Amino acid sequence: MFSLFLQDAWKVLLYSLLLGAGLPVVYALGVRSLGLASGSREVEGGAGERHRLGVALATMCFVVVLAGVAVGLLYILAAGQGKMLSFEHVYPTMVPKS
Amino acid sequence: MSAQLLTLLLVVIVALGFDFTNGFHDTGNAMATSIATGALEPKRAVALAAVLNLVGAFLSVEVAVTVTNAVVKLQDSDGNPMPSLTTDHGSALLMIILAGLIGGILWNVATWLFGLPSSSSHALFGGLIGATIAGVGWGGVHWTGDSTKLDGVVGKVVLPAVASPVIAAVVSMLATFLIFRITRRLGERLSGDGFRWGQIGTASLVSLAHGTNDAQKTMGVITLALIGYGSWHSTTTIPLWVKVACAAAIALGTYIGGWRIIRTLGRGLVEIEPRQGVAAQGSAAAVILASSQLGFALSTTHVATGSILGSGLGKPGAEVRWGVAGRMVLAWLITLPMAGVVGAATWYVGHLVGGGVTGAVVMVVVLVALSTYMFGKSRREPINSTNVNEVWNGTTAVVEPSEPVAA
Repeated sequence: MFSLFLQDAWKVLLYSLLLGAGLPVVYALGVRSLGLASGSREVEGGAGERHRLGVALATMCFVVVLAGVAVGLLYILAAGQGKMLSFEHVYPTMVPKS
Repeated sequence: MSAQLLTLLLVVIVALGFDFTNGFHDTGNAMATSIATGALEPKRAVALAAVLNLVGAFLSVEVAVTVTNAVVKLQDSDGNPMPSLTTDHGSALLMIILAGLIGGILWNVATWLFGLPSSSSHALFGGLIGATIAGVGWGGVHWTGDSTKLDGVVGKVVLPAVASPVIAAVVSMLATFLIFRITRRLGERLSGDGFRWGQIGTASLVSLAHGTNDAQKTMGVITLALIGYGSWHSTTTIPLWVKVACAAAIALGTYIGGWRIIRTLGRGLVEIEPRQGVAAQGSAAAVILASSQLGFALSTTHVATGSILGSGLGKPGAEVRWGVAGRMVLAWLITLPMAGVVGAATWYVGHLVGGGVTGAVVMVVVLVALSTYMFGKSRREPINSTNVNEVWNGTTAVVEPSEPVAA
């Protein structure tokens, strides 16, 4: 039973690292891009360029984070219905618990 | 009203009382960091958490009536109570459930008094295990699973309790470390305000997940009592009023806010700033969701505490108050056995006065008396939305009275 437990714990750790550390890091990159966008306004020459780049990067990061949150919400919805999410079609679908 | 019906009614009321304590005990898991950093006003934070718990509770479309089967053998695998417990409108079963719930409530109120974030699920399971040992014997407890799946007290409760705070701490530590690396050149404004929405979003996810996970435990227990009494027969659905009542009880408890526990989590363990809040709450949400997806049972409290601790370990130069952390770990270790002892003692009290409805009434009187006593004690050193964020001194949540101003 203990090896079963370790297998499960290992999986939880991997998924959690991906989502729990990964998404906050992407969010932080988004905030940093915002910093790039706002900080560059005062800089002479090429500032507009950097501003646009910063906003584009920030938007990208926040979209990724929002997508992650949406998957999280789907997890909760699925769990409430006694189901789980499957990613076999790439986009998440609800399937009965295996 | 017949005596058995009165017993059933008491069980339902006490179960809703447990759900209420579950709410206020766990408000801090989601909201302590946002309150500590000022991302949300204390009152707004608990209101948001209450609404999300309510919504979460209603999202539990499919509620397992077999929730207690993981630890005790009061039901067969279909969810029907053991026939030996259901004679005389299930009075033996009702006594065990009632004593178990009382054990859980008393332990929750006691740990709240000391500002300790212990697990409400452990309190409930502990109480039920103790009451089952008292009422049925050691054989009534499901200690371990077989080699094919994780089950029983060890597999479903003890092992996850050891692993989940460690996993949460590792994830949160790494997230905090990386976030601080990425944002080290940012000014005050962005590294503070920029993370405010991230904090609120991640805290909301934790709240919602809490509502779906925890409210359904009480729903399952109440339904089991109804089946034992004989007024409900399905083991796959639950009555609508049970769902509504449980959702309302947990939301109301959340709204009351366990300020003593919020204070310990938000101020006591580490000094939290917004970037750590995002890391802590984000990893807590991820660990909770990943675990429920993989069928790995765990306590929201252990995960939230582990991840807040991790956010202190990951921040360069941050100080973790190990004394406070030590007290918490001690509380985790003893929650299950202590709630069990209280549950068993409560069952014996009811049994000694003759069981049945008299026993149930006496047990509830004991519960009310002890809870009122502890509530009275808490009034002497109150912690509420106005002083929850005061500077932390020493190892306990108690707010030191401010120095009188020299005349």
